[in-house]
Amino acid sequence: MSDGVLEVRELVKHYPVRSGLLRRSTGAVKAVDGVSLTLERGKTLGLVGESGSGKSTLARVLVGIEKPTSGAVLVDGEDVARLSRAGRKQLRRDVQMVFQDPYTSLNPRMSVSEIVGEPFAIHGIDPAGGRRAAVGELLELVGLDPDHANRYPHQFSGGQRQRVGIARALALRPKILVCDEPVSALDVSVQGQVINLLEDLQAELGLSYLFVAHDLGVVRHIAHDVAVMYLGRIVEQGPEAEVYDGAQHPYTQALLSAVPVPDPSVRLVEASTSEAGSASSSGVGGAAIVLEGDPPSPVDPPSGCPFHTRCWLAPTLPEAQPDPIPSYPLTDRADAGLRLVPTACETDGPALVPRPEAGSGGAPGGASHVVACHFARELAAPRVEA
Amino acid sequence: MSAVTNPGTRQASDAGAGGPLLEVTDLAVEFRTPDGVVRAVDGLSYRVEAGRTLAIVGESGSGKSVSSLAVLGLLPDTARVTRGSVRLAGTDLLTLSRKAHRARCGDQVAMVFQDALAALNPVHTVGYQLTEALRARQGLSRGDARRRAVELLDLVKVPNAKARVKEYPHQFSGGMRQRVMIASALAMDPDVLIADEPTTALDVTVQAQVLRLLAEIQAERQMGLVLITHDLGVVAGVADDVTVMYAGRAVEQAPVAPTYTTPAHPYTRALLRSIPSASGTGRLPVIPGRPPSPAAMPSGCPFHPRCDAVRDICRTEVPPLATPAEGRTSACHFAEDIMAGHDPAPDAAAADAPAPNDGPNNGGGDHE
Repeated sequence: MSDGVLEVRELVKHYPVRSGLLRRSTGAVKAVDGVSLTLERGKTLGLVGESGSGKSTLARVLVGIEKPTSGAVLVDGEDVARLSRAGRKQLRRDVQMVFQDPYTSLNPRMSVSEIVGEPFAIHGIDPAGGRRAAVGELLELVGLDPDHANRYPHQFSGGQRQRVGIARALALRPKILVCDEPVSALDVSVQGQVINLLEDLQAELGLSYLFVAHDLGVVRHIAHDVAVMYLGRIVEQGPEAEVYDGAQHPYTQALLSAVPVPDPSVRLVEASTSEAGSASSSGVGGAAIVLEGDPPSPVDPPSGCPFHTRCWLAPTLPEAQPDPIPSYPLTDRADAGLRLVPTACETDGPALVPRPEAGSGGAPGGASHVVACHFARELAAPRVEA
Repeated sequence: MSAVTNPGTRQASDAGAGGPLLEVTDLAVEFRTPDGVVRAVDGLSYRVEAGRTLAIVGESGSGKSVSSLAVLGLLPDTARVTRGSVRLAGTDLLTLSRKAHRARCGDQVAMVFQDALAALNPVHTVGYQLTEALRARQGLSRGDARRRAVELLDLVKVPNAKARVKEYPHQFSGGMRQRVMIASALAMDPDVLIADEPTTALDVTVQAQVLRLLAEIQAERQMGLVLITHDLGVVAGVADDVTVMYAGRAVEQAPVAPTYTTPAHPYTRALLRSIPSASGTGRLPVIPGRPPSPAAMPSGCPFHPRCDAVRDICRTEVPPLATPAEGRTSACHFAEDIMAGHDPAPDAAAADAPAPNDGPNNGGGDHE
C-alpha cells in the first residue's frame, strides 16, 4: 500500500435502467459494485474477468470517461473527484488509455502525425523542439518509422496501429496507462511484439499499467499483480504467481481451468479413439472444471455471493445439505431445479479477506492475496500447469 | 428443390467405406482485386475422417476461412477456384454446378460461423431459423418443424428449449447463440461440420462449454469436424490433427501431439514459442514482421522474411512438401532439421552473409 500511484476505494458504477412512459428509473446495471484496488508505481496490475464483469467499465471510470456513482479514485494520493477543473485536466495527462480495437479507435481521416500529435493540441502544449519532432520521437519510441507519420491508419497493419494508439497515449508523458484489451484484436505472432513493447516502455519510462484483458495467459506474462472480477466485484486478488498457482476462489479456479493450454497432453475433451493420436495417452489428466451457464445479468445479480449460482464447489460442500424442513422434502427442491448451496453463500456477500494459509511460500511484505469466498480455505488448486 | 436423397442411407454407406468423408486436394483460390489477381489459397490439401477433428490454424489472411468457403461453394463472386478438387463421398464438388454443389453441401457438410449474432437473422425466431433448411428441403409441416426445433435445441443443451424456440436471437447470450448456430448446422444431420472460429467471440468458461458440446455431438454421430481457429490452446485441447496455414499454404500437417512437441516447420515452432506461458516472465519470443500481403508475396518460401532459420535456398526456391516422419508433412527445405530441434547447416558460400540482412533494425520495431 506504500507506493500506490493509483488507488481505487469502494468504487461503484451503476447505470440506471429506465422503462415505461415516464422513463422512471426501475433499476440499475451494477457494472462495478464496490471495487478497491491499488496500482503500485512502475508495476502492472492485471484485471481479468469475463465479458460483463465490469472490467472495462472500471477502466473507463479510471481514465475519467465515466463518472463513478460512488467511491473514490486517488491518483498519487489525490482524490480525483475533489480536483478543480485545471486539476482534472492535469489528471487527463497523467492517466491515459490504450484501446482494444486499433481499427476503430483511430480516426481514419487523420494522419498518424495528427493522431499522435492531437493530445498536444488539446492540452495546448508545445513540446520542446516542436510538435513534429515530438511526434517523430514518439513513433520511434513505439518502433514505427517516423517517416511514415503522414500516412493514414488504413495503411498500417493491426500491430502497427496498436503502436500508433500507444504512441498517442504516451504523448503527454502519463504516469499511468490503462490498457483495455490492448492485444486481443491482434494475431498471435503480432501480440507478442506489442506485449514486449509495453514491457520495454514500462522499464524505460517507469510507467504503471492497469492491464485489462480476458486472456489469462497474456495477463500472467505481463502483470505483477492480478485481480479477478466477477459481476462487478473482485473475487480474488494478489501477486500474479500466487493467484495463478494457488488460486483460492472457485471462480478463479474454473477460469484458469477453462483456458486452453497449448499442450496436447492437457485435453479439454477426450481424444477420439484412433491409432494416430495414441501419443496423447495422458488425456484424462486435466479434469477441467467446466462451469454451467452464463454469468448472471448485472441488473439483477444473485443475492449473497454473486458466484453462487454457477459455483461448482458450493453444492459439494457439507454445509450445502438442505434444512430438514418437512414441507420441502429434498425431492421437491431438486424438481424445482434448485441448486443446494450453503446458506452463507446465498445470503452473505463474502468479503475480500487474506488467504488463511499464507504459508505456501508467498513473498511477505508484497500485496497480499485476498479472496472473496466463504469457503476459500477448503480449496485446492485443481491442476498444476506443466 | 425437392428432397430426394434420404440422409440415413447415405450416411451408412460412407461410414462403412472407411475412407475420408471429405478430401480436399491441391485447392487454389484466387480473388480478383483492383490490384490484380491475388491468390488466397495455394495448393491446400486435407482429409476429414469420421469421428476425427482436424484443426486448421493460421493468422488472419492465411486463407483458412476462404478455403472452407470454397469447400461449401460459398465464395463471393470475385473469387474463383483455379485448381484442385473437393471430394465428398467420392464426388468432386467442384465439377458440379454451383446449385448442385450447394445442394450436396447442404445435406452433408454444414458450417458454423464465428459471429453468431451476425449469422442469425434478427427478425425471425430461433425456431424458424433452425428449421428453415428442413422445411425447404424436406417439406416439413410447421408443427413438425417446431417439434424438430425443440429437439435440436435440446441436443445442444439450451435450457428450456420449448419456450426458447419462440425467442429471437437477441434474447440469447453469446454462448447460447453459438449453440443455436450449432443446432442449425446439425439440422440436416451432416457428415462433416466446419466450424469457423466458433468460440473466438466467447468467454473462456463459455468457450469450454461449447467446445465440449461439439466434441460430444461429434463422438455421438461420428461426424468429421473441421475446426478453424487461431488459438493454439484450443487446438491442443480438442483436435486430433492439425493443418497450419501460412500465406495460403499448408506449411505443416500432422497429428496434434507431435506438432506441439517437435514442430517440423519454423513457423509452427515460432508460433508455439510466442504464446505467453505460465513459466516465462522475460521477453516473449516473437515472430518479427507480419504476414505477407497476398498481393506482394515474397519469392521462394513465403515465410522466409520472418524465419529464424532462413538460408539462401529459401529466398529463391519454393519448398516442396517434405515428409520428415510418418504421417507428417512440412513445407520447409529443412523440415528434418527443424523437427530434430537443430538449425539447418549454414550456407556454404558465406556464413556471415545473412546476418546483416536481418540485423540492423534491432530497435524493437516490427522489423526487429
